[in-house]
Amino acid sequence: MTSAELIAKLKERFGASVRGVSEINPNKVRVEVAPDSVAPVCEALYRDYGARFIITAGIDSRPERGCFDVDHVFSLDPDKTFVIVRASVPPDAPSLDSITPRVPAAYWAERELYDVVGVKAEGHPDPRRLIMPDDWPDDVFPLRKDVKHGDWPSLGEENADASYPWKPAPEGTSTVVVGPFFPVLEEPAQLRLYVDGERVIDCDYRGFYNHRGIEKMGDSALTYNEIPFIAERICGICGFIHSSCYCETAEEAMGIRAPRRARYIRSLMLEVERIHSHLLWLGIAGHIIGFDTVLMQAWRVREPIMWLCEKITGNRKTYGMNLVGGVRRDIPQEIQPELLEVVDRIEKETAAIIDAVVGDTVLKARLSGVGVLPEEKARELAVVGPTVRGSNLPLDARVDHPYAAYDEIPPKVITHPDCDNWARVVVRLEETIESIRWIREALKQMPDGPIMASDIPEEIPPEQWGVFVVEAPRGEAIHYVVTGGDNRPARWRVRAPTYQNLQALPYLIAQETIADVPITLGSMDPCFSCTERTEIVNVRSGESKVLDQQELLRLSREATERMRGR
Amino acid sequence: MIISKLKEAIICFKAGRVTLPYPFKPHDPAENFRGRVTVDAEKCIGCAGCAEVCPSRCIIVTDPSPDKRVIEFFLERCTYCARCAEVCPEDAVTATQEFETATNDTQDMHIKVELFMSTCRRCGRCYEPPTPLDRPMETGMRPPAGGNGNGEG
Amino acid sequence: MNVITQALSAIPGALIAVIVLVGLAPLAEGLLRKLKAIVHSRQGPPILQPYLDLAKLLIKEDLAPCANWIWRMAPALCLGGTIVLALFTPIGGKPPFAFSGDLLVFIYLAAIPPIAIILGAFASGNPYAYVGGSREMMVMLSVEPVMSIALLVAAIKAQSLTFAGILERSAAEPSISMGVAGIAFLLALQAQVGKLPFDIPEAEQEIMEGPFIERSGPGLALFKWALHARLMIFTALLVSIFIPWPHVANAGLSLLLTLAKMAVVLALVGVVDVVNPRLRIDQSMAYYARIVVFVAVGALIFAIVGA
Repeated sequence: MTSAELIAKLKERFGASVRGVSEINPNKVRVEVAPDSVAPVCEALYRDYGARFIITAGIDSRPERGCFDVDHVFSLDPDKTFVIVRASVPPDAPSLDSITPRVPAAYWAERELYDVVGVKAEGHPDPRRLIMPDDWPDDVFPLRKDVKHGDWPSLGEENADASYPWKPAPEGTSTVVVGPFFPVLEEPAQLRLYVDGERVIDCDYRGFYNHRGIEKMGDSALTYNEIPFIAERICGICGFIHSSCYCETAEEAMGIRAPRRARYIRSLMLEVERIHSHLLWLGIAGHIIGFDTVLMQAWRVREPIMWLCEKITGNRKTYGMNLVGGVRRDIPQEIQPELLEVVDRIEKETAAIIDAVVGDTVLKARLSGVGVLPEEKARELAVVGPTVRGSNLPLDARVDHPYAAYDEIPPKVITHPDCDNWARVVVRLEETIESIRWIREALKQMPDGPIMASDIPEEIPPEQWGVFVVEAPRGEAIHYVVTGGDNRPARWRVRAPTYQNLQALPYLIAQETIADVPITLGSMDPCFSCTERTEIVNVRSGESKVLDQQELLRLSREATERMRGR
Repeated sequence: MIISKLKEAIICFKAGRVTLPYPFKPHDPAENFRGRVTVDAEKCIGCAGCAEVCPSRCIIVTDPSPDKRVIEFFLERCTYCARCAEVCPEDAVTATQEFETATNDTQDMHIKVELFMSTCRRCGRCYEPPTPLDRPMETGMRPPAGGNGNGEG
Repeated sequence: MNVITQALSAIPGALIAVIVLVGLAPLAEGLLRKLKAIVHSRQGPPILQPYLDLAKLLIKEDLAPCANWIWRMAPALCLGGTIVLALFTPIGGKPPFAFSGDLLVFIYLAAIPPIAIILGAFASGNPYAYVGGSREMMVMLSVEPVMSIALLVAAIKAQSLTFAGILERSAAEPSISMGVAGIAFLLALQAQVGKLPFDIPEAEQEIMEGPFIERSGPGLALFKWALHARLMIFTALLVSIFIPWPHVANAGLSLLLTLAKMAVVLALVGVVDVVNPRLRIDQSMAYYARIVVFVAVGALIFAIVGA
């Protein structure tokens, strides 16, 4: 079904509710609908036309058009098409029917929508705060344009003692608190496990302790060409994914395209990043189940490619290669034999690791049949990356929505039918091998030519948009850019893969034991910093209080007493 | 199972010891590593191109008097992207190999270049942005970085 | 009079036992860490690092989350129990405190350190410690039977409840039942000393060291030391009873020989530790249930029929 056919169908079904269509190309369309028919349209897309929910972006368009825009982004994977459903909501007391009851994957996205833009999702099953801290004022929405970057709202008394409204523990369970700091979580996140003995009955999640206000910076402080560098810092592991995705998106919004060689270089570095990220993950997964030898050996195998990256880009992890319109450094001819040699070595070692672990019954005993996510559930929750491919669904942005150089050399999509933690391990290991094959192919086909576009327009008109999804090692990272004046975007929306995957966690760990929680969480390769890129955080009212040791001790004893009383 | 354990052991022992004796012995980074930047005051012409492109806004240009320009690098904020070195028309800013920058004194991370500015006899526009996206928003001027400032160009 | 001279004569042996089994335990741990480092392809810490760790912890402040006497006593009880246990452990020859029925005393005493850990865990009130404590209990319940049955096999073979009698007998005539019992004991050793794949009670990545989560400073040091010593004690027991050959009369030589054999067994424990992931508690329980049924009971039957 092409987008034209889809729109014809929508128009036929919803009549005048479909108000207008804006199109970048046949694969990217934005449909403007009346606010009251957003939910039915989204439901029709999801249930009847096989669309997959991706993200919701709230845009404060009051300065331009006197309204808030809410964009629900959907993907029609088989047709390589994005469909954005836009509704414009009036500026006073903005609200919109929630789509979560009909499209479950929008669960977090709509909570975030209220948190940051203040558009209420009416009828949302769980309208708790998602992003902002508990003591944040109720009437400050940081991504509105009247909040300037660097503004610090005065935190009044109203929420001074607020704490997160956790789900009540189910009858007959006790609560095990995981985090905010926990050995296997490299970043802060809090998970409350409601357990019966060792078995987890239910859980609740509170994250977003890591917000750095990156989206706000993007649309209020930085310029187009500065954003790639901050985008790269959204994640410590898959940073290049974000800068590439932002650059592709911004280029699309500006109507330019990076030269072919630049796109090849981007793809090559993306694959290199996938290799080292998967090996890093393998090590961490080993560490989580106490198998530190895997950690050490996987990271040893990974190390040569990090050094090579330093040689190519000037830094082992944060490459700083991308600019809007191309890349900064070429991959010179001289370094290519070395690159091939390094990936050959990694391929050999990874193959040896695969060969060794597939027969390891102890390892399999820990991973097989744990954290099961059946196909239909994976589709409902719209999980992405190896998590969904481990559930036997061949979703891969490199094939579904080709970007960079993947339209010329499509990679093989690796899936596994087991739907459990073991499947996700195997998918990642085989993807590493596939990435190496892709790198070889790409080096053979890499064209000569410039690495920076020469047709960047002098003036970039506002209200242009672009959306791109890049297959990060953890799944799809999505960037959505709406251009503004002032040499910077009006809205830059980022969704990292973990944002969607984490929502599947309660389902994955229900009825598992406590011992399986870390590895199940780990099997998604969670990246909290990625997930939590948005908004400004604040420390409580700016006044700091130093607890002396006695007081700290007293507090912690009190906490213990409370815990025991519970 | 025993076989797979043996295979795992072979992988381990084949590798041998791979950790380096760093920091007891120095470990040099790759040739075009983007380390801490330095400024050659002799070459600097005060075009402020570096300040324009710095994503972390750690290069501050001030003009205390019409014939004096001060360019300051607050490298504790630096993200080592080396864009300043890339755009510098005179190659006055360069990225060095230095990466061990831990210090107790933030002064160690400050570079201050004071330039006597006479009327330029060259082209009048020394800093040519690599792409229109890098064009000066307000030539050579930025409010101080850091703090709660708006940081807008 | 006779009792007093006996007790006095036991003092040198007791000193040696404590020095070897408790004093050298951190050294053994240091060697194991080095072994682990080699498998990890890295340099590893200095061999004496465990001593430095213990010294550091001992001079640190002891923070208590509760003012509970069980909590305060647990570390001392754990290490104290372990030291007393060392006095009943044969190292090549008969144990320093040898008398009729010392085997049974050993089995009883062996339960004290884990019980101290469990009590300390429950006293702390931390939910992770609760989980760790109950896991420790389950591990104990599944491992102690294996160990006891293996020792019982030895006792039946020797027709004696003293270590001295068992040592004499097992060195003299190797038998199938003793071999099988030895294997059962070896399989139980890994869990008995809390090494992977059975370090389930501590499980840093799951429950953050479980029973020890609230521990700091000297309390933690005592627990750690007791765990290191436990490794030595059970290895010594295994080597003395189930691998007593070659038998040497000279006490000093016998001690050295035992230490050498212990080093081999420890290396084996260390290698198993590095090439395995951690099992879940239910998997480990099932594993030990199988061993009890097949190996230990098998050995028992062999012993009863006289093989």
